[in-house]
Amino acid sequence: MICPRCQSPDASTVAHSPVAGVWTMNSCPTCWYAWRSTEPPAATDPDLYYSEFRLDRDEIAAAPRIV
Amino acid sequence: MHPPFDDLRSFLTALQAEKQLLRIERTVKPEPDLGAAGRAVANLGTTAPALLFTNIAGFTEAQVALNVHGSWANHALMLGMPKTSTIKEQFFELEQRWQNYPVAVDRRTDAPWQEITLTDDINLFELLPVFRLNPGDAGPYIDKAAVITRDSADPENFGKQNVGLYRLQVKGPDHLGLQSGPPHDFAIHIAASEKKHQGLPVAIAIGNDPILTLVASTPLEYDQSEYEMAGAWRGGVPYPIVKAPYTGLDVPWGSEIILEGEVLYEAREYEGPFGEFTGSYSGGRALPVVKVHRVHMRRNPIYEHLYLGQPWTEIDYLLALNTSVPLYRQLKQEFPEVEAVNAMYTHGLVNIISTRVRHGGFARVVAMRLLTTPHGIGYSKIVIVVDETVDPFNLEQVMWALTANVNPEFDAVTIPRMYEIPLDPTGNPQGITTRLIIDATRPKAPDIRGEFGTPVTAYPESADWERLLKEMTS
Repeated sequence: MICPRCQSPDASTVAHSPVAGVWTMNSCPTCWYAWRSTEPPAATDPDLYYSEFRLDRDEIAAAPRIV
Repeated sequence: MHPPFDDLRSFLTALQAEKQLLRIERTVKPEPDLGAAGRAVANLGTTAPALLFTNIAGFTEAQVALNVHGSWANHALMLGMPKTSTIKEQFFELEQRWQNYPVAVDRRTDAPWQEITLTDDINLFELLPVFRLNPGDAGPYIDKAAVITRDSADPENFGKQNVGLYRLQVKGPDHLGLQSGPPHDFAIHIAASEKKHQGLPVAIAIGNDPILTLVASTPLEYDQSEYEMAGAWRGGVPYPIVKAPYTGLDVPWGSEIILEGEVLYEAREYEGPFGEFTGSYSGGRALPVVKVHRVHMRRNPIYEHLYLGQPWTEIDYLLALNTSVPLYRQLKQEFPEVEAVNAMYTHGLVNIISTRVRHGGFARVVAMRLLTTPHGIGYSKIVIVVDETVDPFNLEQVMWALTANVNPEFDAVTIPRMYEIPLDPTGNPQGITTRLIIDATRPKAPDIRGEFGTPVTAYPESADWERLLKEMTS
C-alpha cells in the first residue's frame, strides 16, 4: 500500500472497525502517517494528498530532535 | 461550592443539569465530523457547552466527549462555582485554593478502570475512537491525557512524579509518539532514564475529572505534586489515586482508560505535523516513542479529547487561569504591588501584568522577573505592564493603557536571542526569539517625561449608580 503522504510502498492496514466492514485504519512505518479508509480523498489518495503536507525521505531524516 | 468531581462522568452529569452539555446521538463519522464539531463548538463563545457523541461509525459502544473545559461557564462549574462567575472571580478563587497546597492524597486500591485489562494484541485504533482532529495532522492523536512518569534519579520522590499533558500521536496499534519540549518535566525524566541506559515507564490516563486535567496542564515547580495540588484545588478534598499494576505509577482513581507502557530507550521517530495552540501546524520532529503494554478501562469508556486550532478553542480556556495564577504568585513573592496577571493568550505568549508602580522604571523590572519564571522562560514573548487601575482581563482597558501611556521610543524594550518554545512559528531559528516588554504604566519619578495630566476619576456615587443600573437591566 502506498502512503499518501510520503509515497512509501511499505504502508499497510493495521486495524479494522469493530463493526465489520465500516472502515480500515492504515499506517506508514516510514513517516508514521495514519489514515482511515473513510476519510476524505485528500487524506487517503496519494495523488490527491495535500501538497503542503507531503514529505520525502530527506525531510524525515532531517527532522530535529528536541529532547 | 459544589463538592469536587471524582471522575469525568460525574462532571458530565453536572454539566447536563446546568444545560452545559449537548448529547449528539446520531451517527457521526470519526473524520471529518468529530474535528469539525470540535472547531464549531469553540465558535459558540464563552458559554459554549461540552459535547458527548454516543454513536461513532464503526464502533459499537464508543463515546467521545469534546469541549469539556471549553467555556468560562464550564470552567466555573469545574471549580464548583456558579456558571456566571467572571474570569477575575475564577482567577482569585483558584489563587486562594492554591494556598492550601499540599493536600495529602487519598490512596485507594480499587478503581473503575480495573474492570477490563488487556495484555496481548493491543490495538488502540480498535479499542478507542481516536480520530484525526485537523486535516493536516499526521494521524489520530491522544491530546488530553495525563502522562505520568517518575524521575529515575530519585524514583521514590512522590513530588517529582510528574502528571502532565503531552500530545501523543497514535502511530500504530500499540505505538505512540510523544512530544515534550526541553523545559518540561518529562524531558528531565527521559534524560535521567537514558543516562542509566533504560527506558522510562509511563502511564497514560485518559478521560479524567476536570481538575486533574487543569492541574496536569499547570506549570508547577519540578518537585511539586500535581495530585497534592489537585487536592488543594478541590477545596481541600484529597485527590484519589491508585497504583497502576504494571508500572507501579500512581494514576487517578476515576480515569476512564489507563494505558501502561514504556518510553523506549534512545528511540526517536518522525512525529507530526499537528495543528497546535499557536494556530499553526507544528513542523515534523524526531520525538520519543512509547510502546503500550497494558490497557485498563471501564466497560464502554468515554474517550475525552480536546480540539485546538486558531484561538480561541478549548485549550485556551484550559490553559488560561492555570497559567496566569502561578505567574501572579511568583511575581507577588517579590513584588507585593502586583495586582493580577493575565497570561490567557496562546498559553501565555502574551502576558499582561497589572501593578502599582513603586518608582520610575519599576514596571520593566517586574516584567523582567516574569521572563525568568519557569513558564516565562519558554513562553512570555510579549509582556505588557499596566497600572493597578487597569483590569488585565479587560482588554478594552488594556488597549486604553497602550494608547494613552506608551511612547515606543522609551516604553518598548526588546531583548534579542532569547530561548522560547519551538512551537512559536516566529522563532528564528526555531526556539529562539526576541522578547518585547511594553511599559504601559504612567511614568513615575525619576522617569519624568511627557505631559501626563491628572487622571479623570468620576464622582464616588458612580459605584452606586452602576449597581442600580445593573439591577434595572438584569
